[in-house]
Parts: sequence; C-alpha cells; structure tokens
Amino acid sequence: MVASLEPLIKGIEVNYRGIFQKNLAKRIGGDIVYVAHLGGKTGFSNGRYSDAPERNGIPCKYFAYVSSVSEEELEAICGAKMDISQADVSVVLDDAMVKGVEPWGWHGIRPINEKVREGGTLLVVSKKKPEELLKFVARQPFNYNIAILPGDSSFAGLWVYKDDLTDVRVLGAIAAIDPDIIHIQQVEEYVAKKYGANRVQAVRDAYNSLIIKEVTPQEGIDWPHQIPELPKWHEFKEGIAVPAVERRFSLGPRGQSRNLHFKRGTTKSLRPVVRFDLCVKCTLCWIECPDECFDPTPDGLYDVHYEYCTGCGKCAEVCPVKECIIMVDELRFDNDASPWKAYKENPVSYIKWAEEKKGQERIIHQVVTGRGLEVKTVENPIPPKVKE
Amino acid sequence: MSFIPEEQIKKKLFKGVHDVPGEELYTSGHRTCQGCESALVMRQFVKAAGPRTVATGSTGCMYVANTSYMTTPWVVPWMHTQLGAGGSSAVGMAAGLRAMMRKGKITNEKINVISFCGDIGGGDMGLSGISGALQTDYDLLIILYDNESAANTDIQATGLTTWGAQTTFTPTGTKHRVMQKRWKKNVAAMLAVGHPTVKYVATACATFPPLDFMNKVTKALETGGPTFIHSLDPCPKGWDYHPRYSHEVGELAIKSGIFPLYEIANGVVTYNYDARKNRIPVKEYLLNQGRFAHFTNAETDFVQSMVDEMWEEWELPGILPVKSSLKVST
Repeated sequence: MVASLEPLIKGIEVNYRGIFQKNLAKRIGGDIVYVAHLGGKTGFSNGRYSDAPERNGIPCKYFAYVSSVSEEELEAICGAKMDISQADVSVVLDDAMVKGVEPWGWHGIRPINEKVREGGTLLVVSKKKPEELLKFVARQPFNYNIAILPGDSSFAGLWVYKDDLTDVRVLGAIAAIDPDIIHIQQVEEYVAKKYGANRVQAVRDAYNSLIIKEVTPQEGIDWPHQIPELPKWHEFKEGIAVPAVERRFSLGPRGQSRNLHFKRGTTKSLRPVVRFDLCVKCTLCWIECPDECFDPTPDGLYDVHYEYCTGCGKCAEVCPVKECIIMVDELRFDNDASPWKAYKENPVSYIKWAEEKKGQERIIHQVVTGRGLEVKTVENPIPPKVKE
Repeated sequence: MSFIPEEQIKKKLFKGVHDVPGEELYTSGHRTCQGCESALVMRQFVKAAGPRTVATGSTGCMYVANTSYMTTPWVVPWMHTQLGAGGSSAVGMAAGLRAMMRKGKITNEKINVISFCGDIGGGDMGLSGISGALQTDYDLLIILYDNESAANTDIQATGLTTWGAQTTFTPTGTKHRVMQKRWKKNVAAMLAVGHPTVKYVATACATFPPLDFMNKVTKALETGGPTFIHSLDPCPKGWDYHPRYSHEVGELAIKSGIFPLYEIANGVVTYNYDARKNRIPVKEYLLNQGRFAHFTNAETDFVQSMVDEMWEEWELPGILPVKSSLKVST
C-alpha cells in the first residue's frame, strides 16, 4: 500500500512573489532536491498548477517532496499533485504575504499557514519579530512553529538576477528546522560545489541565526476572509457566459462598482499613503492607475480602495508633489478602510497618522528590478497645510 | 462610408485630463501584473468609447487576465475569441449588430465594436484576419496592444519583439549574446499601406503624450469604417523593470524614436511626437530594461543606427522604409 508510506514523505513549499522571485524560488526548490540526493534520498520539485503564467507580485508557489522511499513510490504518491497537501516547512520569501495570499488560479484570500501541518514550521524571511507577524496569521487548531530568517525579502528579478545569498540562506534555515529534509553537512557540501566555497559561511550563519518560536492554538487571528463557493460546471450559463460587473458610479469612496469575486490586494508588499492636504488635484494617480483603485471624491481628491490596490507604485511615481504619495510597508496596516474618509473626519489627526506610518525611510527602486533598491531617510515631515 | 469633417471630430476629443469621465467601464479586480500598461489600454479605450460599446479580444494576456472562473472586470459586454480571430470576430459582431438593427430587433443606434489583440494575435497569427476585416465596410476598431512578447505564456519572442531582447525563446548565451535576430514588424504602417480604403490608422502609447491614446480611439471611432490602432505597452513582467516605472519606459520608447508615434487620417500623416528633430539616445530606453542588460556598446550602437536610419533616410519615417525617390526602369 503506497498510502501508508505518506508519513515518510516530507513536504516543503516555497511561497513567493510572481516574476520577481520566480528564479529565486525555482533555485530553492531545485536545490532542496539536489541536496536531498546527496543525503541518499529521492525528491522532486514542481510549481503549483495554474500559477504559470505568473504575474508580477501575485503570490505563487513552488513545492518539493523529499523522502527515503523509492523514486517510483514517491512518483506514485506525489507525482500528479497540483498543490502541496501538507507542508513540513512552508517558506515565505516576502513577509507581506503573511496577510494572506490570493493566488490567481485559486479563489479566495487564504491564510499563509494553510498547508502547515501539526508540528510543522512556517519559515519567513523577515526583519520583524514572530509576534508582529502573528498579528496577521490565521489561528490553527494545533501547535506549529514560526521561524524567522532575519533579512529583507529579496526581489531578485527575472533576466537580471540579484544574487543576495537568500537562496543558500534558506537552505541553511531548512536544515536547522528539520535535518531529516536536508542535513547541514550536505547543504554545505552542495553549496560549496555549486556556488563556491565562499558561500558556505552564509549557509552556516543562517543555520545559526534562525529564530524559532512555537505557536499555540491560542495565537493568531480568526481568519476574516471567506473562501468563495464557486459554481459547479452544470450551473454555467449557455456559452459559458459570465455576468458583467454591474454598472454603478458615484463620487466618493466605493462609488465605483468593481469585480467582487477577485480582489487582488494580497499582491502588494507596499501600499500608497496619500497626504490629501498636499494634493494639487492633477488627476495623475487616478488616470495612470492600471487597477482602477482610485475613487474620485466630490472635493476633487482621490480616495484609495486598498482591497484592490496591487501596490505597483505608479501613483507614487507619477505624483508631481513631493511627499504626497509614498509607498509604505504593507505590514504596518491592519485594515483597508478609506483614507479619504479618515481625512475628512479629522484632517490633522489623519496627517499625523499618515506620517507615523510613513516613518522616515523612503524606498527608491532601481528601474531594473534585479539591481535592488535604495533607502533614503527624510528628516522632517512636511507640516500639515490644513488647520483643525 | 461617409467622410466626417475633421472639425466635427475635434469637438469630441478630450482637451484636458479633467474632461475624462470618472466612471470605469473596465474596472478593478483583474489578474494583470502590477503596473500593467495593457490594463491601462483596456481601461482607457473603453473610457473614450463610452458605455455603448461591445468588445472582443483574442487570446493573450488580456484575455486570461480578464476572465477566470466566473469573474470579469468588464462592465460592457466582452467576448473572448481565438488567437487568430481578432479581425473576424470584430466583423462578425459588427455584421450581427447591423443585421439586428436592420431587422428592427434592436434600436438603431451607434454601437462601437472594438476588437483587441496582443502582438501574436495581431501582428503574427491574426494578421490575415485583421487584413480581411480592414477590407470590409463595417464600423470597427482593432487595437493591437503590443507588449513585445507572448507574455501570457511566460515571455516568448514574437514578430514584434525588439531586436536583441531576452525572452524565454531567446536567452542570451556565452557564444551568442543576441538570439532575437528579427527586426520588429511595423504592423500599423503595413496595414495602412496595404489597405488604402482604411480612413484611420495610428500608433500610440497609453501614457505618453497624455490623452493621446484616448483621443486616437475617439478619432478612430468617429471616423468610422474599419480602423486600426497599434499601442506599445511596456510590460514590467517580460521587459524586467520595476512596475512603478511603466509610464516612464513608454515615454522613453517614444522620445528615443524607437517606436514612431504617428496617425494616418484620411491619407494625411501626422507625427504626434516628431523624433526627426529631438531624439534622446536609444540607449536610455534599452538600458532601463532587464531584457537588454546583456547589451554591449556594439548592440546599442546597432539599434541606434537602425533608428537613425529610419528617421533620417526613410521616405516616410516610421512608415515607409524606402530610401530613394521614384525610379522607372527603362
């Protein structure tokens, strides 16, 4: 019976941002299999069905299986899987994904730890503490671990690949979590041979610096998002017709009708924060937004619908006013409420809140993604142009 | 087909950004990349066309991104058609509407028929269908949204990919740095030259110059008959740049002259950005994209020489690659 062999198989998934981290995740998935081979095990890695063709920023997944059962048996059990069913280690390459993922072929916003099994580990590349991340992660009925590999999420790029050691560091971290998947000695041997001996130190550092914390069923949040019930094949209309979005438009927040069944906010790692008092009403953010998430308001400003914003940053780039639209780390926010409403209720406290969220660091991306980013510091925020 | 005076069309154009309607007819919740310029093309053409519009799209990024299991971002009716059928489905729609109006089954009114296709659907595989559609007398607009690769199936080279670009079909190697050895096909000019009865053909970019694309859509629809617009859409996915710079890459393409911006209305050519006078070096456009990161001076110089030749030696820059005046053989 092949099914009885299932407990002998270790599953690893790598959650990543489409295109930006495609090559990075593929490397990690492939390398896990190669290292497992060095340890006398069999393994294979695959991309989740329907993630390809992937889009910039969309949450995607690679997964790998490692086992000491024979190749044929592993193939029989795991060969035709469209997605991993349970993961012993679930790697998250961009920490903003802990707010939930909505992969584009799978409907609904899902918890990042959906596939983590009892006693398994959620491994996040992040500079945050486990407690900060658990404010967004769904509660699970069992104990599991959260591990933090200290570091920035690596947006490595596609044709130009930014090699910042994230791939070998993740291998070191997996070895620290579960030596039954890959052992640190074999990881070091493999990395030295494939990428050069100077990288072994990075593996060892990641192995030693990993922060692991046990998560109990009391920790985490009640998941706020419902997984939609999709119509069955026999419920389709003739000609596979899909009802269009209802035509509705009025000025003000949420005045525009939108596609209710696919909100793609989980694509973003950064979100635009608007200083409405500085706005010159040039319309550029609204007219240049490829995701139609700016709502014109009666006073000529533009509200942001964060549930649909993908965080591309075009609005911040085209905005002609200094400090008016700034892209800010998504994990600093716990809701998608209308910023314009908050501004209208109390302009001064909104501006204070916005400046607190923005902090002093400003991210400047290089035009070619794989060339990394620059962080500049702004000393003093621009004083409010409105009175209480 | 009646000739519509230019003055009448001019009245319908957007004079400033504040004239653009606030309502979205292609709305949020589509599966496009961050910073997708093709999504902006969809959004803007339907904004310019208004609610009495039916759209059809052949297979490509903008098909897969806009439908998936039981969801759509379209407010106006939209139909998917096969990869090579961009032209024929537009003809079918226009013919159907005309027949239903003639028989009194629907109100006799102006309904815009817009078909869009990607660079394979428009420039490679669907070219014959579009050519056929442009020979009819139906009112229809075909928009070729050109992101220079088969981006839907993960960035394969097409006939419209820029020379030298890296794609999954043409990766750079140690022996051969350049694998994409085909020069970009000039689809708009080819169709304009080959179909003298077509009243309006244009090239465009969704973000530069501002409002230019939307006004070209209005002009095409108002002119009537079969019309064609070719828009260059910077693609953060396949061109490998950060999505926040989408508008800038498009602007660089036009200012460097590598993508000529023109319209041919009733046989009159207008350059909307005259790159004969002021061109920035094409290097600035190329080196801001990861797909050209393997270029050395030899490659950028070659592309520059081709662009210079187009603007300085062609009889009609960007349109007609003929370098000498008419000769008659004796």
